[in-house]
Parts: sequence; structure tokens; C-alpha cells
Amino acid sequence: MSFYNGILNLTNWTGNVILPTLAGLLFALAVVRFSRGLAYFQPMYAGLLCLLGSGLLRALETFASQKSWNDPDVYWMSIVTLVDWTCNVIMPLYAALEVAAGGLSLVSGMRIHHTSGWQRHFLAAGLSLLLSGLLRLAEYFVAQGTQGVA
Amino acid sequence: MQTPHLLTDIANLLILLAPSAALVSLVLAGISLRRETGGVSFVIEGGFTKWMFWAVVFLTLPGLLTWFSGFGVNMPSLGGSITSWWLASFESDVSSFVQSFVMGRMVPVLAAFMVLRSILDTAEGGNPLPSVFAALFLLGAQTTYTLIQQYNTGTQYATVDVLDSLWTYLASVIMPIAAGLGIFGAIIRFAAGKPAMRLVGVSLAMLCVSGLWYLIEAMAQ
Repeated sequence: MSFYNGILNLTNWTGNVILPTLAGLLFALAVVRFSRGLAYFQPMYAGLLCLLGSGLLRALETFASQKSWNDPDVYWMSIVTLVDWTCNVIMPLYAALEVAAGGLSLVSGMRIHHTSGWQRHFLAAGLSLLLSGLLRLAEYFVAQGTQGVA
Repeated sequence: MQTPHLLTDIANLLILLAPSAALVSLVLAGISLRRETGGVSFVIEGGFTKWMFWAVVFLTLPGLLTWFSGFGVNMPSLGGSITSWWLASFESDVSSFVQSFVMGRMVPVLAAFMVLRSILDTAEGGNPLPSVFAALFLLGAQTTYTLIQQYNTGTQYATVDVLDSLWTYLASVIMPIAAGLGIFGAIIRFAAGKPAMRLVGVSLAMLCVSGLWYLIEAMAQ
């Protein structure tokens, strides 16, 4: 018996046994909330994340190995890679989802999310695709103000 | 003047009892881990760090004592057998007690109580992990002892060598696994509607401990 084996098996048990089991419960919760007209996105996404536990860890390991282990910039680079992955991989996918939801909402009049109209869906899709541009725009505004107010 | 046999025997007895003292220190460290900060961390100068330090000191005592020769103090040769039969018997009895009673029977019972405690912690609305970590540490005390022995260089710098190796082991072996627990914790917090980004940042940091050390070192230059 060793502490190393203990914590390794605890992690494996949590990620590969408990979280996938909880995913079922969370999906059931999402369905119940949907049937009552309540917000169901959080339990739905949480259920999905429970099934993705190992994959998310592998993703973080990839982010953290962009530089060698003894490079002082390794933490900064891992955060940069996380931001890059979120903005350039996840957000465009989210944009596609929002476009689909907006189209469905526009055609059927049904609200995919109880707080969102079709305009909000399309605007969210556009903003998701424009993240880098918005950041550059904000940087430009800040750069223009470095001389202070005349 | 020659050192009296009795004094040499007592000194040898203390040296031979040092491994047993190290084992007891590791058990006390495991208990302190749960008691002082809730178990997922440790306090500097707290019970856990204190008992871990003493465990390392006890195991590297012969190397540490060689400093006295360097200071010019005439050191009798220590670590040999005990000539006095009753002192030898006392050493054997204490070592046997620590191995059979403390490590063989007491530690599993303490770990079992920690597991029970983790359930009660959850019932109180707390976190079960601290007690689970303490139970794992207690059950792995013997292996941790062997690990420290492997890191012992036997030189006059043995104590710091072992502490250095333990840091490397913690940063490169334990922390990447703890990062997995961190990300799973983030998922559970997200499911419960609580803020989860802190744990994502912590998981990334756990994967970059060595890099963060070199960053701080570079900042200090």
C-alpha cells in the first residue's frame, strides 16, 4: 500500500466510475427540468462534462506541456493555450449551435432557452465568432488612450 | 579517555531506535494532515510539516551527526551493536512494538476511523476528501518510509537531499494525479451551480509546479 497508489486509484475511480454514473442522474435532472419549463442547460452540460472527465484532464495535460517542465513560462503558456482553445475551437462550435438554435427559434417561434429570442441566438453566434476581433478592438482602444486625455 | 561502554550503548540504542521514531513520526504526520487544515493542504510550521521533518531527521541522523566531526568534535563510532543485553533487548522490544502494534494494527484502525470520518464529514455538509487523504497517507506510511530510505544519500547533506527529493516526488508524481482530482472537482462544482474556474486554474498549476518554481526563481534574480 502506498499513498501514490491510493490517490491514483481514487482519481481513476472518481473519473471513470463515479462521474459517468452521475452523468445519468444529471441527464435525468435535465429532462425533468425541461418538462417543467425550467432552465435545463446546466445539468445537461454538467452530464456531458462528467462523461468528458478523462478527456478534459488529457486536454489540460496537453495545455501544460507546451513548454518544457523547467521553463518559467510553462504556466503562462498553458493558460494562453487554454484561452486559445476556448476562443478558437469551442466558441466557433458554440456559434454553430447558436445559429441552429436561432434558426429553429425563428422558424417555429419556439424558444430554445426560456430567456432567449432568435435575435439573441444570432447575436451570440456572431459574438462567438468575433472574439479575437473584439479583443483586438479593445486593445486598439486602450492603445489609443496611452497618451492620456488632452 | 575512552567513552564508557554504557554511554556508547545508550548512544547506539538511540541511533537504532531512530527508524522506529521515524515511523511513529509518519503516523503522527498523517493524523496532523487531517487535523490542522482539513487535509487537502498543510500549514507551514504546522503539525504535518513538523512530523514529516522529524521523520526525515530521524532517518538521516547518522549523516547529520557527521557534521560534528567536521566541527572538530571527536565522535565515537556509533551505530554498532549494543553490548549490554538488557539495552539490546529494550531496543528489540521497542522496534517490535512499533512494527507489530503501531504499524501492523493501530495504523489500519486509524485509517478506518478516517474513512468513517469522511462519511460523517459529508453528512455535515463538508468535504470527504480530507479524511480520505489522511486515510491514504496513514495506509501508505510504511511505503513512504521506504521511499525516504531510498532518497537517503547517507552524506552529511542527507537531510536536505531527502527533503529535496520529496519535493520533486510531490511536484512530479503526486501533483499531476491531484490535477485530475481538481478537474473532477471542477465538474462537480459546475454541476452543483458553484464557481468552478478556480479549480481549473489550480489543476493547471498542479501540472506546472516545476515551471512555477523556475518562474519564481527567475523573478528573484
